[in-house]
Amino acid sequence: MNTSTAASLPTFQAKDFKSDLKPIWCPGCGDFGVLQAIYRALAGIGRAPHDIAFVSGIGCSSRIPGYTTAYGFNSVHGRALPIAQGIKLANPDLLVLVAGGDGDGFSIGGGHVPHAIRRNADITYIVMDNQIYGLTKGQLSPTSPRGLKTVTSEYGSVESPVNPLLYVLAYGANFVAQGTPADMQGLSRVIEEAIRYPGFSFVNVQSPCVTFGAEDVQVKEHRAHMKSLESLGHNPSDRLAAMGLAQHYGTELHTGIFYRNPEPPPTMDGLLRERQQTMAGKGLPRERILDAFVQK
Amino acid sequence: MDDLVVGMAGSGGDGIVSAGESLIAAAAYEGYSAMMTKSFGSQVRGGESSCRVRLATQRVYNPGGLLDVAVALNWEDFLKFGAELPVSGSTVVIYDSKTGVAPADIPLQGVAPREVFAVPIGEMAKQATGTDKAKNTVVLGLIAGWFGIARLSILRGLEKKFARKGAALVQANEKAFILGEQFAKEHPLATPRAMNAPKGTPGKKMLVDGNDMCAAASIFAGCQFFGGYPITPSTEIMQFFTREVWKYGGSALQAEDEIAGIGAAVGASFAGKKAMTATSGPGLSLKSEMMGLASIAELPLVIVDVQRGGPSTGLPTKPEQSDLFTAAFSAHGDVLRPVLAPTSVSDTFDVTVEAFNIAERYQTPVIILSDQEVAQRKETVDPIDTARFTIEERRRPTEAELQDYARFRITEDGVSPISHPGMKGGNYQGAGIEHNEHANPTASGKLHAAMNDKRFRKLAPLKARRDLFHVEGSPNAKLALVGWGSFGGLCREVFARATADGLDVKLMVPWLVYPIAEEIYRDFFASVRAGFVVELSHQGQLYRLLRMFTDVPAGVTSLTRSGANPFQPDEVLAHLRRAAVSLQQPAVSIASEE
Amino acid sequence: MTRGIDFSQLSLCDAVDLAILVEEEAKDRYEELADQMTIHHNEEATRFFLRMVQVELTHERILLSRRKALFRDQPRKVTREMIFDVEAPDYYAARATMTVRQALDMALVAETKAYEFFDAALKEIRDPEVQDFFSQLRSEELEHQKLVEAQIAKLPPGEPVMTAEDVSDDPVAH
Repeated sequence: MNTSTAASLPTFQAKDFKSDLKPIWCPGCGDFGVLQAIYRALAGIGRAPHDIAFVSGIGCSSRIPGYTTAYGFNSVHGRALPIAQGIKLANPDLLVLVAGGDGDGFSIGGGHVPHAIRRNADITYIVMDNQIYGLTKGQLSPTSPRGLKTVTSEYGSVESPVNPLLYVLAYGANFVAQGTPADMQGLSRVIEEAIRYPGFSFVNVQSPCVTFGAEDVQVKEHRAHMKSLESLGHNPSDRLAAMGLAQHYGTELHTGIFYRNPEPPPTMDGLLRERQQTMAGKGLPRERILDAFVQK
Repeated sequence: MDDLVVGMAGSGGDGIVSAGESLIAAAAYEGYSAMMTKSFGSQVRGGESSCRVRLATQRVYNPGGLLDVAVALNWEDFLKFGAELPVSGSTVVIYDSKTGVAPADIPLQGVAPREVFAVPIGEMAKQATGTDKAKNTVVLGLIAGWFGIARLSILRGLEKKFARKGAALVQANEKAFILGEQFAKEHPLATPRAMNAPKGTPGKKMLVDGNDMCAAASIFAGCQFFGGYPITPSTEIMQFFTREVWKYGGSALQAEDEIAGIGAAVGASFAGKKAMTATSGPGLSLKSEMMGLASIAELPLVIVDVQRGGPSTGLPTKPEQSDLFTAAFSAHGDVLRPVLAPTSVSDTFDVTVEAFNIAERYQTPVIILSDQEVAQRKETVDPIDTARFTIEERRRPTEAELQDYARFRITEDGVSPISHPGMKGGNYQGAGIEHNEHANPTASGKLHAAMNDKRFRKLAPLKARRDLFHVEGSPNAKLALVGWGSFGGLCREVFARATADGLDVKLMVPWLVYPIAEEIYRDFFASVRAGFVVELSHQGQLYRLLRMFTDVPAGVTSLTRSGANPFQPDEVLAHLRRAAVSLQQPAVSIASEE
Repeated sequence: MTRGIDFSQLSLCDAVDLAILVEEEAKDRYEELADQMTIHHNEEATRFFLRMVQVELTHERILLSRRKALFRDQPRKVTREMIFDVEAPDYYAARATMTVRQALDMALVAETKAYEFFDAALKEIRDPEVQDFFSQLRSEELEHQKLVEAQIAKLPPGEPVMTAEDVSDDPVAH
């Protein structure tokens, strides 16, 4: 029997992270499974709900913080990453999570992604990628495949999709994984590992939209087609190999860890905390701060 | 003489601004009240540059109008500054004889200065130091010699400045200074003008610009986080933070864009820390959505907008007062956001501390609406007793309140206790979406109305803050002058001169420029029949806001000019005099002037 | 799906607790589905799922009293995190406009899964008491399946002429 809990930490169960708010997602939405995975991952991590800040943008998946008992911030479209980094820098002891959809993250929010990656603050970014805009009822998204017909691409999309996996790998993210609610426990495991990983970690979740997505991309299709990276013999310490596999985004559903940098670089919050410690008290006391300007 | 305005211009390599810095530093040390503004051409380096230094024995509020002294190292560059360096018949004109222009032929249109000196500045510099690089030091000698100011302090300053590079350079520059002084002694002014000594003890005044003052005041007020992006003319605030804030246990982030900058500050505030961002017009436009988020999420936040010429890219290095509408109204929806405007470097301290206090007390974003002139001008500031300031913290929930915590509980004063991540029992969902008292999303019209009421109601006490308005003059005066921001200083000067001339005028300089404090303005305007709201903008935005929210007497009009070249005191005084005359003739109306 | 359970080492107490959790999970899932159907205004499906909540609750209560009788206040060593979707119906078979038939199909699949769970577990269980217990449960699942099948048989034949989708104002996928 496996009942592993760290002796000194309080034990949390998945239900400790479940709030009373009932999700408004459509029945059959992939996000239900993602939510379960998050509850379990957080139970595994063992931080108290009040020590967790969960930031999101706007969209169906951005509702997720409200369904947890953590402090949440359902902010504005595409801007969760800057807000989350502000929270982490202000209080590096908090566990900071970010969630949103593919539009929130790679369309309007796209400009923030490379900088969150290169700053490498210790936060975890979970994107629920369904290749559509669900909340606003069915428009094209940056990860929609070419040719997809939606309410804003009646004649089929003439754009190539963003490849979120390749994108974040190319920008140097040190932890990149993908999952699907079709394998909830696997998803929960990668989310937990992503949270544990020191630095910016990214989890792309193929979480289908039951209302606007085609039948052939729903969860039962995932069950049939998903391939674990482990089963392919992939070495997650190999970024180039990861990028090679990531190129199949859109045609393959690879699950598990694409890349985990075996030598995690320093985190931004770690470096700045060091700086604060080194420089503590080196300034004029606040009430004397104007002394620096006196012409003596 | 009690007041001297010096204007100097040269090309980038001449060190003319450096001369101005030396002059004002010396003046500050000696206890003069002084101000310095700078102006550059559009190149990053090497283009034309100018500065203007005003020194006075008593406090001044404005960089002054006509130059008492004009220094041109070459005429081409001097003329590029046009109306910024206005010369009159009584200006003492000093220029480098190397320009080859005869004193009678100097290229100043429409003026005939009576005292013009062609000085071999470059030659004297070469004589003293072997190169003409020390022209600016010669200029300092000339000024010290002719106007009897600060020689020892200037020399002391030169010593400090060049000490790093060795005694030889110090001595050479001293020599250059003395050569300049000598020339002045050998060619005395036809009308001698010696500066009187300032009152008070030397070595007490501060010398600082508005941006640095704002940043220092923010740290004093307890700001622990800065998020921003480089933009002229506010970048110095960010630079102060990225250099200093670590010493106070805080953090600063140069973000990837304006939106990320304020976004990070919003996050830091959500995490319980005092936070700020700083920008100029284009950035304020971009930050619109985030400001609205902070308002509905009821998060304390300070946003500094150092106004520059607009719209869009506009005039990045020139002052204007055209962001007031944006500061007051930007962000869609019904939002009420306090806007405070400093009028000088000195009160930038007070205004900044107050902005943080208001932000914390009412859990709201607050805009500090500065402008390029105040932000980037160096000013002497009398000692500020930091002990007289109270620093406020946001209302946090008690243990009892955490038992059934409602983040947006509708209280009597509209302010709800605010928790932050890390506080057990205070868990809540911050959001831009409308919400009920427990922070759950709602689309109910009734709840929305209640929440709007709360968010507006909590700020109502601001309208009664008479301490946020400077009012002067006889309470029954029929003539009024209103100015805000850097024009607050201008109007103070105009008011002082008008009153000295015997005009019965009253002055209002608001620090709180939004919301409009209807009652305070009503009281002020009660006796008024004529006057001006003087502003550096095309539309006269405060005037428009006053007309929108309160009754403005028909005879009070908007006196405006688009940004870059502020009114000079004389110009406004002339308008005021005409208005005073017309008041003696009841039926005459005054047209406003652009 | 299970995680971290070694059936060969399972004690009777653990087995009973596991069974309780299986019912609890199913009950919680039916409750969630009922909530979803309420929010999406599907009255018929709501009613059905609420009935299933009661059914699972009953099973759970029976097991709980058995547990109490046999093991009193012995601490529980198995957790919810060790199981997933054993008897709980599949999230992704739900649809906002689902009919009672579709909901019953969901329940049937769930009961079948539960049967298969106990069946597979029995292959690894060593303890004879636990074997007995799980066999019992396996039979009960078979009974439950039959009950659901009976319900399905009682439904009017074929699909209804008009479905909720026909009147819905809400958009659907292409």
